Amino acid sequence: MRQFILWICGGSKIDRRYLVVLGLIALVTIGLPLLGLGSLASSPLGLDGFQVNMVGQVMAFALLAMAHDLVWGYAGYLSLGHGLFFAVGGYLIGMHMIKLSYVGETGVPTFLDYMGLTEFPAYWSGFEYFGYAFLAVIVLSALVSFLIGFLAFRSRVVGVYFSILSQAFVYVVMLVMSRNDTGFGGNNGIADFQTLFGFSLGSIEFRVAIATISALILMIALIGLRRLTTGPLGKLLVGIRDDEDRLQVLGYETLWVKTGIWCLSAMLAAIAGLLYVPQIQVASPQLLSPIFSIEIAVWVAIGGRGYLYGAIIGAILVNVVKFWLTRFMPELWPFILTGSVLFVVVVLRNGLMDPGPLFTRAKFLMSWRAKKEKV
Amino acid sequence: MKRRSFIKGVGVAGLAMSAPGIILPAWSQEKVKLGCLFSSSGSMANVEGRLNYVVRMAAEELNRSGGVLGRQIEVVSTDPASDWPLYGQQARQLLEEEKVAAMFGCWTSASRKAVLPVVEQNDGLLYYPLHFEGEENSKNIVYMNSPPASSVLPALEYLMGDNGGKARRFFMLGSDYVWPRTINAQLKGYLQEKWDIKPDAWQEEYVPVGHSDFQSLVNQIKSFADESGEQPIVVLTVVGNSIPNFFQEYINQGITALDVPVLGLDVVEADLEGLDTESLVGHLNCWAYLQNAPGEANQRFLNAWSEYVKANNVPFRGDVAIDPMVSAYSSVYMWAQAAEKAGSFDVPEVRKAFPGTNFDCPSGYNIKLTAENNYVHRGVFIGSVNQNQGFDIVWQSPETTTPVPYSSYI
Amino acid sequence: MHRQYLDMLSAIVIACSLMFVTVSNALAQPILEPWDRFEIVKVWCSGEREARIISFQSLLEDVVDADAPAQQWAANLIGEYRDGNFRCARDTVYIPNDEQFLDVITGDRFKAIPDDAEKPFLNIPLRRALAPFASAVQLVAAEAPEERLLAAQGLARTLGDVSPALIESIYRQEKDMQVAAALEDVLVPAWLKSGDTDAQLKAISTLASNYTRTSRAALDKFLDQKTENVSEAVRTAAESARSSVHWVVQLSEVMTVAYHGLSYGSVLFLAALGLAIIFGLMGVINLAQAEFVMLGAYATWFVQEALRALAPGLLEYYLFIAIPFAFLVPALVGAFMEWSIVRHLYSRPLLTLLATWAVSLLLINLVRVTVGTQNLSFFTPEYLKSGFTVFGEFSITWSRLLSIFFAGITLIGTLFVIYRTRFGLRMRATTQHRQMAGCVGVSTRRTDAMAFAFGSGLAGIAGLALSTIYNVNPTMGTSLIIDSFIVVVVGGVGSVLGTALAALGIGQLNAIIEPQYGAVASKVLVLLAVILFIQQKPNGLFPRKGRR
Repeated sequence: MRQFILWICGGSKIDRRYLVVLGLIALVTIGLPLLGLGSLASSPLGLDGFQVNMVGQVMAFALLAMAHDLVWGYAGYLSLGHGLFFAVGGYLIGMHMIKLSYVGETGVPTFLDYMGLTEFPAYWSGFEYFGYAFLAVIVLSALVSFLIGFLAFRSRVVGVYFSILSQAFVYVVMLVMSRNDTGFGGNNGIADFQTLFGFSLGSIEFRVAIATISALILMIALIGLRRLTTGPLGKLLVGIRDDEDRLQVLGYETLWVKTGIWCLSAMLAAIAGLLYVPQIQVASPQLLSPIFSIEIAVWVAIGGRGYLYGAIIGAILVNVVKFWLTRFMPELWPFILTGSVLFVVVVLRNGLMDPGPLFTRAKFLMSWRAKKEKV
Repeated sequence: MKRRSFIKGVGVAGLAMSAPGIILPAWSQEKVKLGCLFSSSGSMANVEGRLNYVVRMAAEELNRSGGVLGRQIEVVSTDPASDWPLYGQQARQLLEEEKVAAMFGCWTSASRKAVLPVVEQNDGLLYYPLHFEGEENSKNIVYMNSPPASSVLPALEYLMGDNGGKARRFFMLGSDYVWPRTINAQLKGYLQEKWDIKPDAWQEEYVPVGHSDFQSLVNQIKSFADESGEQPIVVLTVVGNSIPNFFQEYINQGITALDVPVLGLDVVEADLEGLDTESLVGHLNCWAYLQNAPGEANQRFLNAWSEYVKANNVPFRGDVAIDPMVSAYSSVYMWAQAAEKAGSFDVPEVRKAFPGTNFDCPSGYNIKLTAENNYVHRGVFIGSVNQNQGFDIVWQSPETTTPVPYSSYI
Repeated sequence: MHRQYLDMLSAIVIACSLMFVTVSNALAQPILEPWDRFEIVKVWCSGEREARIISFQSLLEDVVDADAPAQQWAANLIGEYRDGNFRCARDTVYIPNDEQFLDVITGDRFKAIPDDAEKPFLNIPLRRALAPFASAVQLVAAEAPEERLLAAQGLARTLGDVSPALIESIYRQEKDMQVAAALEDVLVPAWLKSGDTDAQLKAISTLASNYTRTSRAALDKFLDQKTENVSEAVRTAAESARSSVHWVVQLSEVMTVAYHGLSYGSVLFLAALGLAIIFGLMGVINLAQAEFVMLGAYATWFVQEALRALAPGLLEYYLFIAIPFAFLVPALVGAFMEWSIVRHLYSRPLLTLLATWAVSLLLINLVRVTVGTQNLSFFTPEYLKSGFTVFGEFSITWSRLLSIFFAGITLIGTLFVIYRTRFGLRMRATTQHRQMAGCVGVSTRRTDAMAFAFGSGLAGIAGLALSTIYNVNPTMGTSLIIDSFIVVVVGGVGSVLGTALAALGIGQLNAIIEPQYGAVASKVLVLLAVILFIQQKPNGLFPRKGRR
């Protein structure tokens, strides 16, 4: 048993917090089918379709945050454009779902009809097969990230410049995709999805299924990345984050490591997008908005970077609060968001996972007050 | 210490997720709920924000006269923050958790498209108050305002006629998304079919949504106008903040409606709020309602609105009323009538009661729904900018026009 | 007896007829006002469009023979009608005049008018028909040359149905040079059409001196005619005129594009300068910079509102009065932000990005909640209305010229501050080598705070300049932020000249591409160009010298 736990923790140490988060996700994976569809569905603990859907979305966001943390927390590059890869996954799965509803039929969806097309352009062929779509997601995200990463890393673009570059990229793609003539529905995006894998998208069965799958993939990715980052590669990444020049002096070719991690992160983000879009049933340029990409960084910053599970906690926390507040106290949401970001960034520095500074300050204040009272 | 605070945090998250389910069902017995999907923050806030209050005002009026089917109305507002997927999210929440009887919402087609699957899967009702591109006819949406065939084309015909200046050349300037593109496609088809106008008589340009620098575009309009001899006009389908920016540039470059008149298809009184309209006198727009519409119904509505603004400290002007406000206001009454007629709040029953429901709209027309589709029959106004940042009525249709959801000109 | 009766009778008759003659003379309109005022206003208020146009026509014909006061009355009347000031009552028309109402027929003043007095509606074709008649009547009636010039310019835009012969006769008698030149512009189409060679040559030389597209189009149309109607000399003259006009028009179009680039570039420069300074000094990218621009614009609006309430006489100069406020408000907010947040994060530039983003969101929402979401309305001072033509088709609007002016002043001012003041000296020292500067005695903390405030203040000035061009609302900054980044990154961090050059370059690039490929394509291409540029020169045009 202990061996198994050690293996999951990916090393020689047992990390309690990591195990707790992993356990939580496992609980969600098991609990969702039970509470959503199974025997407990009608009990007070049961979840209705809306809540299942919310959990599923949050799981997808958590995966996205974790992918972002891989690059920021471990390699030290703050990407403000991860929405780009998220959108790649989202749009491609959208294409698959559109093609599914046109299998065996002629005609095209309205957004292609507007452009005067009577049949699907060549690059749409093959998307009626999920396997092909999935492959396209992986390949395209890897390709795009390779292009960006290689160009950026080769020219030694670092720090703030890299962040701005990533924002510029996602902004450019958003502008392009917002054009109607690009063929993806412009500002409206692509919608009118009906089914996926034979399930109707609105049915409770599908919602439970995709939420469970999202949680499962999150769990697997967490374990996988944990093992990756606690191994030699992880040490290399931390080296890059802390002092890349020194590492290069020691003889390591950091370019390929960085590019490789960047591409891995992009692929994970794209998978997160693939899980997200069927749950909101529309793929629009909103995914590519620069603000959304900044929000991803905010999730990781609040949760705590460099831990992987910190990003997950951050994503869950921020999005649950967002959903709740925009529904019940919409006036408050922007202020709470800004307040928590400022609090985390100024006081907590490393996010919630590292409440050290908070306690040091608290301890300092307490001892200072005690000293005052003594006198 | 770390672990405990950690677990506590997670517990709070879990509780927060299920909180709505626990808190709400308790006090929703007596009232019937209506949901609002209008943003009060983000880029749409300035226009959509007003609609929240108008719906509340209508609900208050209905409640004062006894409510609907004996029950008082409670309006549940959300703030989708101009984030299109969030509209879908909030709609799902309203339908599945709050169990609202009907929703009133959306302005842009992007937000409506995000809500469409939700409202169809849950068999809910969305009353959509804006004019839009048509090409849609869902049984779960009531389209309160006109598709282009019944609103834009009459305005264009007016401009091409004797009274409007015999326009024969068209500069189509729009924001780059579905509504302007569809309108322009329909216009081009219409011009070619009915007026035999050739493609070299028009020019189409698109700007990104939110674009603000119109220097070179107004310059292009000037050179378009300088060519040949026939009367040119600008068909303006930019939206949002692009509208005042465009007109400001027009003013700055000294072009007036006598030179190149503008038919602004999305221009409302609120867009003229910050402008010096002396040099804009003569430009046109067309809607199903204009603030200067004659008649008692309009006076009552305007008075009620300004009182409501004062009484409730609404952060919008009480002396400005725009078409979507009136559409939203009318939609609440239309729903109430349908529910009363059906004797129930169930959506299938209410839907069956649609044909024949009508309402004396503040625009002065008696608007109605027929059995053909979910488009409300509205009147058409063509307005001309005046010096007081409002619109004078140039022409209005003698009665309500029959809406044509799918245009034959595309 | 009978004789006396007869005498008395005839005396009475004579007296009565004398009275009648004098009274009727007094009541009768002067012979030199050959129209019926009531008839005119009746037709203008409620006549058919054709009838109205005929009425304009006959008024113009009659006004030539009328005496000066009558001409004045006619010119005023038609001007008020054109401006929409008519209030048509049952038997007369009122015009608002200095808090009271003037009856146009009798000239009496009233405090109030009947409720059913309405404005007649003038649709577009009526307006178009009316404008030249109004200008023509005013041309005939006006005494001062300036007024005649205005009227002539109005006629040059459209002659409409006004008879060219009438204009020709006025032209022959015109003494003022400027007005005569303007009248020549009006007469050109008539001269070209007449078969007379001299008239045609005169028309061509007038067209040749107007370097406009309309001129070129008129020459093109003329040259397209069949050769028989046109003599050889005239044809050669027209061709040479056309080519010179064409050349100047093209040049002016190029200048227009250059000017657009300059004005957009100055907007970018103003927005990005503060960012460049702060980034150069502290390595901090301030994502809230765009919101400081917004704060500057809002401060300007508050100053305007305060002036409107307290000192309306000074309202014309609100822009200049607002300069210190537009600088100070964002500077103070920036100083506070630096002290409370940024100061703690100097070693962590990435976190500063997130923190400043949070502040920008906070500022937007604070403004939204306190002031509101609507666009603010700004009073346009006289000196900012419209613009002037430099030559040909190249015209400059005052408001954009003002923003270029502001950008220029800011550039010079900032260079002065940085290179000629002690504060600037400290800033440069801290930028080049922070530790050494600290060793030498520069208080780096204080320099940082003041530089942050300075940069934020500059953004406020940008907001002031932009308020005349763009809409002012809480989210006005969001479209500027990415462009400002790009400018800073391309220009080289911390370099004022680099920022200026980068802003100019990007502005020009934008202005050149946009007319060809559209606004979206221009943004995309510019961004791609910048991304490629960064590959080559990752530190920008003017990289920072010195060690960090």
